[in-house]
Amino acid sequence: MSFKGLMVLLCVLLLAGCGYKDIDKRFFAVSMGIDMSKNPSKKYLISIKFAIPNVEKKPNEFIIVSEEADTIAEAVRIIKTKVDKEVDFSQTKALILSNDVAKKRMAPHLYYWPSRRRDFQEIAWVAIGKPTALDVLKAKPKSEQVPSNGIFLSFAQEGSETPYVIPEFLFDVKKRFSEKGLDPLLPIIETKNNNIEVNTVGLFNKKHLIVSLTPEETKMLNFLLNMEVKSAIKVDRGKNYFLIDTHKVKTKYKYKRDNKNRPVIDVSVKATGRIEEALFKLDNKQLAEYEKKAADSLTVEMKNFLIKMQKANVDPIGFGLYYRGHHFQTNDWQTWQRLYPQVTFQVHTNIQIEDTGLIE
Amino acid sequence: MNRYFLYLILLNMMTNIIIFVPKLLLTERNDGAVMGVLIAIPFGLLLTILFSKLIGKVPQQGLPELLSQTFGKKVKILVLVGFACVWLSAGLLTLLGFLDIINRYINPEISKFYLLLPFLGAILFVIQLSSQKLMYLLELILVLNAPLIGFIIFKAFTSDYLNWNSVLEVATHVGAFPKFKSIAAATYAFSGYANILIFNRLFKEKIKTSNFVAIFFLAIFNLFTTFFIPIGIHGADGAGEYLYPWITTADSLRIIYGPIERVIFLFLMFYLSVTLLSVSIHWHVALEFLKGIAGGHISNKQKFAIFSVFSGLSILAVVKIDALQLIKFAGAWLQMRLIFEMSFIFLVFLIVRRQKK
Repeated sequence: MSFKGLMVLLCVLLLAGCGYKDIDKRFFAVSMGIDMSKNPSKKYLISIKFAIPNVEKKPNEFIIVSEEADTIAEAVRIIKTKVDKEVDFSQTKALILSNDVAKKRMAPHLYYWPSRRRDFQEIAWVAIGKPTALDVLKAKPKSEQVPSNGIFLSFAQEGSETPYVIPEFLFDVKKRFSEKGLDPLLPIIETKNNNIEVNTVGLFNKKHLIVSLTPEETKMLNFLLNMEVKSAIKVDRGKNYFLIDTHKVKTKYKYKRDNKNRPVIDVSVKATGRIEEALFKLDNKQLAEYEKKAADSLTVEMKNFLIKMQKANVDPIGFGLYYRGHHFQTNDWQTWQRLYPQVTFQVHTNIQIEDTGLIE
Repeated sequence: MNRYFLYLILLNMMTNIIIFVPKLLLTERNDGAVMGVLIAIPFGLLLTILFSKLIGKVPQQGLPELLSQTFGKKVKILVLVGFACVWLSAGLLTLLGFLDIINRYINPEISKFYLLLPFLGAILFVIQLSSQKLMYLLELILVLNAPLIGFIIFKAFTSDYLNWNSVLEVATHVGAFPKFKSIAAATYAFSGYANILIFNRLFKEKIKTSNFVAIFFLAIFNLFTTFFIPIGIHGADGAGEYLYPWITTADSLRIIYGPIERVIFLFLMFYLSVTLLSVSIHWHVALEFLKGIAGGHISNKQKFAIFSVFSGLSILAVVKIDALQLIKFAGAWLQMRLIFEMSFIFLVFLIVRRQKK
C-alpha cells in the first residue's frame, strides 16, 4: 500500500470514530446551588439551573432540577436521569453555597469537584446564597435577559462597578482554602422578591464561614485588596457630612517591628477623588481641612476593620502570606500564627480632593 | 541561518511551558526546585555554548556525515540508531502529553487513538520535508503564534489574582538543596540546541554571541513563567496539585472583552501548531539519523517501514500509557536526557578532535 493509500485509510477511520454530541442534544447548566438537605440521611441538596436555549418570545427561560445526596457527583448522576439531554457544565459560571452549608457543612470536596472536572470553568464565580442557594437560583430579576445573567454581570464588574462586590473565582477559592496565611472569602448574594443584591462578604477560616461583613466593611476589604477604585467615602463631621467620589484608591502594607520590638503592620492608603455631595455649604479654601477630616475618618474605619479581622483570627488580605514570603525560616508560618494576635495596626491615610465637581 | 538557531531553542522553551516541566518543578517547589532552576540557567547555557562552539568547527555537516568520516561503520550505525531512539521518544512524549490535554479539554468523547491519527498524518507528512523547508515552516509558525502566546503570558503576569507573596514564599525556599530531577527538568528549556546535530547542515557561518545573550534572557523569562506564574495564581501550597499547572493557569485567566472569555481555548489553539511542530522537528531529526545509516537516501519501502515503526510505537503508547504514568516517564526521561546531552557533547568533542588530526 502506498503512503497516499494509508492516508486515505486513516481519514476513513476517523469518520467512524467521532463522538461529538450536537448542541441541541445538550442542556447547558448556567449555575449550581448547594443547600443543606432536609432529609437527615443525606448531606446536601444540589440544584442545577439549566438555561433553555432558543425560546424566541420568552428569553429568560430556565428549569431547576434538584437532588439530595452526600456528594455532588452522586447528585449529578441522578439529575442526569431527570433531564432528556446531556448535562453540560462548560457554561456554568456560578457555584452558590447556602449560608448554612458555608457555616456548618463546608467540605473540601465541594470546591475540588468542579476543579477536578475538565469542563467546569476555573473562572466560574463562587458565592454564598441567602436565605438559600435554591432561592438565589430561582430569583428572576426583571432586567435579566439570560438565565443567571444578573449574577454574572454583578460579579464581572462589567455592568455596574461597585466596591461592595468582591468577586471570587473558583480557582482563587481553592487557592485560598489551601494557602497558609491567606484565608477564603466569598461574596454573599441576597435575594428578595425576585431581586438579587450583592453587597456583603463572608470570611472563612480554613474550615467554614466565621463572620459576615457589613457593606462598609466590605468596602474596606475591597480597598485593602486593591480590587476596585471607583468608590465613595463618607466623611463624618458630626451631623454634617460629605461624600467623596474616589477614582483612585491604592493601599500598601508592610510588616515591621516598632522601637519596642513589637510586631506592627503598617498600612498606607492613598485615595484621590472629588467631593460629590455635602450636607453643608462647601468652602474651597478649606479643602485641605476636608482632606484631613476625610483621612482621619478613613483611618479609624480601616483600623476598626483590621482589628475585627484580627479578633476573628481570619486573614483574607494575606498578611500571613506576606510574612511567609518575606522571611527565610522554614517555620515562619508557625511564628506568624503566634504573632498575628499580637500585631498592632498603624494606618496612614492620604486623601487628595482634586475638585469639587462642576460647582466651586 | 543564525536566527534559526534561536528559533530551535525558542520552540523548545515554548513547549517547555505547557506539558511536563511545570508539573515536575512544582512538585519539588519546596524541596530545591528554586535552586534547581537557578543552577539550570548557567548550566544549560554552558552546554549550549560549548556545543555550538564545537559544532561550529565543522560547518555544514550533520552528525551522520561526521560519524562516517571519523568512526567505523558499526559504531556509526549503533550511535545513529541510539540517537534516533532518543529523538523519537522526545517527540513521542510531547505528542502524548498534548494528546492527553486535547482529549481532556477539547474532545473528551473521542478515543485518544482516533485523535492521534490526524496528528500522525500531519506529522509524518511534515517530517519528510527537507530540513531547509522545515526551518522556514518553523519561522512561519513562530512568527504567527509567539506574539499571541506572549499576549496570554502577559495577561497572566498582569492578572489581579496573581499573588506575588506566594511567589516570594516559594522563592524563600531557595536554600533547599536541589535534586537532580529539578535541574534536569529545568535544563530542558535549552535542549533545542541538540537539533543542530542535523540542522548544522544548513549553517554556513558560526553562531553569533548575540544569540547566547538572547537565550540567556529568554531562559530566565521562560523558567520564571513556567515555574512561578502557576504558583502566583494557584498558591504556594496549592499549585502542585494540578496535573497540567499551566493549562489550569490559562483556564484561570479571563479576557473580559475578548471574542472568547475563556482564555484556555485560545491558548490550546495557539499551542496546537507549536506542539505539532516541536514533535515534527524531533521526528525529522530522528528520520535524518536513520537516513544517515543508509548514506542519506532511502527507498520508499524503507521509508514506509520507518513510518510504520513511528506510528506503531505512538499507537501502542497512546493505548497503553495513561496520564499519570506519562508524568513518571517524563520525569525519568528528562533526567536521562541531561546525562545523554552531556555525553553527546563529549562525542562531538571527540569527532572534532579526530577531524583535526
